[in-house]
Amino acid sequence: MKVKHLILAALLALTSVPASAFDLGKFLEDRVNRELNKDKPAQTAPAQAAPAQTSPASAQTAAAPQPAKQKIDPTQLGFALFGDYSLEEEVRIGRQIAGNLLGAVPLVRDDALQRYVNLVGRWVAQQSGRNEVTWRFGVIDSDAINAFAAPGGYVFVTKGLYRMLDNEAELAGVLGHEIAHVTKKHHLKVLKQSTLIGALGQAASRKVQGSDPAVQNLIGNGAEIMARGLDKSAEFEADRVGIVFAARAGYDPWGLPNVLQGLAGLPSGDNRTSLLYKTHPHPADRLAELGEAVGDRFDGLHGKDVANRFYRLR
Amino acid sequence: MRKILIGTLVVLGWAAASVASAATGTVLRDEKLLTQPSATASVSGSVARGATVTILAKEGGWLRVTAGKTTGWVRLLSVRAGTGGLGGAGIGDVVGAATTRSDPTRVVAVAGLRGLNDEQLKQAQFNADELARLEAQGVSAAQASGFAGQSGLAVVKVADLPQPKAEQSSSPWGENR
Repeated sequence: MKVKHLILAALLALTSVPASAFDLGKFLEDRVNRELNKDKPAQTAPAQAAPAQTSPASAQTAAAPQPAKQKIDPTQLGFALFGDYSLEEEVRIGRQIAGNLLGAVPLVRDDALQRYVNLVGRWVAQQSGRNEVTWRFGVIDSDAINAFAAPGGYVFVTKGLYRMLDNEAELAGVLGHEIAHVTKKHHLKVLKQSTLIGALGQAASRKVQGSDPAVQNLIGNGAEIMARGLDKSAEFEADRVGIVFAARAGYDPWGLPNVLQGLAGLPSGDNRTSLLYKTHPHPADRLAELGEAVGDRFDGLHGKDVANRFYRLR
Repeated sequence: MRKILIGTLVVLGWAAASVASAATGTVLRDEKLLTQPSATASVSGSVARGATVTILAKEGGWLRVTAGKTTGWVRLLSVRAGTGGLGGAGIGDVVGAATTRSDPTRVVAVAGLRGLNDEQLKQAQFNADELARLEAQGVSAAQASGFAGQSGLAVVKVADLPQPKAEQSSSPWGENR
């Protein structure tokens, strides 16, 4: 099983190098690029190859002779390689990522806190227009300062980040950013690209109760997709979209900017932010980018910060 | 000596407690300083991108800052808190450059605190019990609306924000809407 996947990954890497005969890898690549770029005008999509060639694995396998007449079963490539993921598939993927993340860091054992975050999060998510999603929010027991979103409506904030918050509007701003990753399907787009690159099939396939092996193959090892991060323009977009969700929910729109200011003001060597800065642009860049988009557009807004109800961690 | 040290710490502690009234920031774009926290207020001066300011107060989307001899209000999103300079895109991030900028090859050490790093995420094993706990805590749309109403939160009409021109690149992320 594992060997089969390795061969598949190697083959994908191999065939991403131009070959003279019918090139299945190129064919798949073109199809995926067409899918990824289908919103764009046709002439702006000259089938830019994903950076498959940069991975060490493909560099090694590229030197090996091409195996003759390998068959690829498209169903092994993960579902919905071509076309959009259905809501059911999206939730299946998100569920697996969320379960893995919780395997690394459990929820904070404070039901009142978790309920509070779900109430705020759900209210903000209701302004996102994706009401078919069953939203779940959780505070996870880590001192690291970070937040995560997985497809299908799973959103997490670390205890470390939660402690930095001063009021409900700031929580709404952080959750709004993560909700935007879900509504804009940022991680699903990464998955489509990584499927192309051939990251799939490398997952250690230990049998774990409740785990979905097909999805695990798609997302790689554990919850590493959360550590890889997104394109920085996806982060800027999530800031722009998320701040609007919080404002539509009636909150002071300056919640997210205030949190970014707090992050910007932390000492640069603070190791609680190591992973955050690996996966996100610097907060100063995020503030500057958000400033360009906001300008004077929020001058007429008078949202609430709801400081008195904010749930303080014990 | 020790007394002086303690005295210094007390003063520092006091300064930190009133951080909103004595923090340093860096100006992210050329801006006017205004006499009031309002776009229609009169101009009291200007600050250039990259200038260091002292943040005196905050009100809504505005910060009251001092730059040299001029004091005035500037938009919250035109200043970053902290002394790390302009961030990734700019200059002057001398201290931050080596430590806070993105560096995928750097090993993340989270000593002495319950952190969360690449390796932990990669090694993570699916936890069905924790997931069930999470899913049991979800709330309904009606519960969320009731909760919002309790503190007077109501839906406000706010238009989508445009994507800034500078960011409109060939990136596939840009065309998502």
